[in-house]
Amino acid sequence: MIVPVYNEQDNIVPLYSAIVRALEPLRWSFEVVLVDDGSTDATLAHAINLARSDSRLHIVKFRRNYGQTAAMAAGVEHASGEVLITMDGDLQNDPADIEHFVAKIDEGYDIVVGWRRDRQDNFLSRRVPSRIANWIIAKVTGVPIKDNGCSLKAYRASVIKAIPLYSEMHRFIPAVASMAGPRLAEMEVRHHARRYGTSKYGLSRIYKVLLDLLVIKTVISFTSRPLLWFTLLALPTLLFAMLAFSYTAYAVLVRGGQFPLPVAGSGFIFAACTIMLMSSGAIGELVFRLGDVRERDFARLTAKSVGATSDSQELRK
Amino acid sequence: MTERKNCIEISAIIPVGVRHADMAALCRDYGAALAQLGRPYELVVVLDGRYPHVSATLEELQRGGEPIVIVALTRGFGESTALMAGFERARGSLVVTLPGYYQIVSSEISKLVNALGTADVAIGLRWPRAGSRFEAVRRGGFHRALRWMTGLKFSDLGCTARAMRRRVMEEIFLYGDQHRFFAVLAQRLGFRVVEVTVRQSPRDRFEGRYRLRDYAHRALDILTVLFVVRFTKKPLRFFGMIGMLLGGIGMLLLLYLVVARLGFGEPLAGRPALLLTSLLVVLGLQLFAIGLLGELIIFTHARDIKDYQVESVIQFAADSAKPAAADAAQDHVTAT
Repeated sequence: MIVPVYNEQDNIVPLYSAIVRALEPLRWSFEVVLVDDGSTDATLAHAINLARSDSRLHIVKFRRNYGQTAAMAAGVEHASGEVLITMDGDLQNDPADIEHFVAKIDEGYDIVVGWRRDRQDNFLSRRVPSRIANWIIAKVTGVPIKDNGCSLKAYRASVIKAIPLYSEMHRFIPAVASMAGPRLAEMEVRHHARRYGTSKYGLSRIYKVLLDLLVIKTVISFTSRPLLWFTLLALPTLLFAMLAFSYTAYAVLVRGGQFPLPVAGSGFIFAACTIMLMSSGAIGELVFRLGDVRERDFARLTAKSVGATSDSQELRK
Repeated sequence: MTERKNCIEISAIIPVGVRHADMAALCRDYGAALAQLGRPYELVVVLDGRYPHVSATLEELQRGGEPIVIVALTRGFGESTALMAGFERARGSLVVTLPGYYQIVSSEISKLVNALGTADVAIGLRWPRAGSRFEAVRRGGFHRALRWMTGLKFSDLGCTARAMRRRVMEEIFLYGDQHRFFAVLAQRLGFRVVEVTVRQSPRDRFEGRYRLRDYAHRALDILTVLFVVRFTKKPLRFFGMIGMLLGGIGMLLLLYLVVARLGFGEPLAGRPALLLTSLLVVLGLQLFAIGLLGELIIFTHARDIKDYQVESVIQFAADSAKPAAADAAQDHVTAT
């Protein structure tokens, strides 16, 4: 159970008791990792008070605010359970849903993603952009998840621990994780309106999300084949170069006219660019070979849970 | 002697470079100032390059009972490396870095150390500042540019007198010219950094002249820091933005040229416009490709380069009978 919190002083106590209430009757033993993302209010003090009476609560404290992805990564690293569940610290998710998530993992799924079917947020400023963003993300990454923004998710620990989490990746964890070919399931969750505190999101993140999406798309589809990707990138320049060269040849040889310097020159430039791009691809291969993201690791990870029943809710792979 | 070494609390690291004062006198000064704090201290003098006469005078001082550790590097590696090398030998729980020449009045060191009560790093801010009007303007320009780029407000990064907790030095990684941006980097690591006004030493005067090269270096330094601070984790945002801008302009121009040539029969020969546009397009593409390469490097090494710092993990001892994953009782265990 991983909960990143940032300036949620009013929410933390009710949140914690809700989690305990939801998890205690279940047959699994649990721990709660609270990641304090450099809160500037009394969040930490409240949390320490809670921890004093409950050894199942771990608090990972950041020195400053690093953002949600970093908080998730720290939580994942610190957590020791077999099933990791992440949720927001703002009480908009209902801890009572956790039970179903864990049950799904038990069924053999590697990742279970929440879907806030009826969201309790402002329609125009939150729900419409989110709907569009989710549609784009699903189209681009090929992982059809209806609600990427829902932070209530459950993971098999071995899978999530193998996925690199950095920058602002937390929104795309299922997409990145699709590299490993996990069994994905989606669960409807209850969603509550915010009771205390203010939302920390705004519309301004759209541009960042789009660029990140581009990165993730390239990363997941081409990490293991950088040369191919760069060659694709180089194709248009190669085409331009060929066009320019053939025009030059045509002008000089067939029409016997003057040598068309600008056209030939740009042909050379594009040809040079093609070579440079392909060399970048070669460097990319080198980088990948030296890096620590290995497809066979992923293969091993997901192969472990063979025997999962195929279900109508199973999404891909 | 060994007993005394074991309980050293303050380590002062003094890198000695080309610009250095009479080290024996300076060390005596520093020693006296540190002794006033009433805590056991040591001076770690790092000779960044070959300075046999300095080494000889220091050894003499050492024999006289002054707690000096001499670290002699084989060649001049630069101040960043010198600081790191000095830190390897430092044993104190507080680390003070001091310039190898007169920069601040040495009795002001205590101010820096005392400022650590609430902060993790205290850096000196020489005030009132001697020097010409021109120097002040130049300095102001440098710091303003830095603030504009990184959003961090510092006003005297040239002052190398700093005091910090040991942890800062353990976590920070300095290389090249980055010692200049110590405060910026420390802040990025999440440490609390404060500037403390200290009196400038009357002998703090730079005799040389700044050449054009030095200005160029400073400008590049700022760019480096900008890149390190803002974009190391997102190279595509940095390169991709520039690349898309240039490539976009190139594409538009190219389109215009094609339309003009085919549609209106304007001749291309005699005009270098086509060359320019193709260069732009190509440049944009390549910058974009470089950004992608950067992303690839980060993605495949994400587990080595961690972009967050954990200050402490808090968990209290299990007193009831249901510890789920109770490690040993840890209260304020540090992890990085």
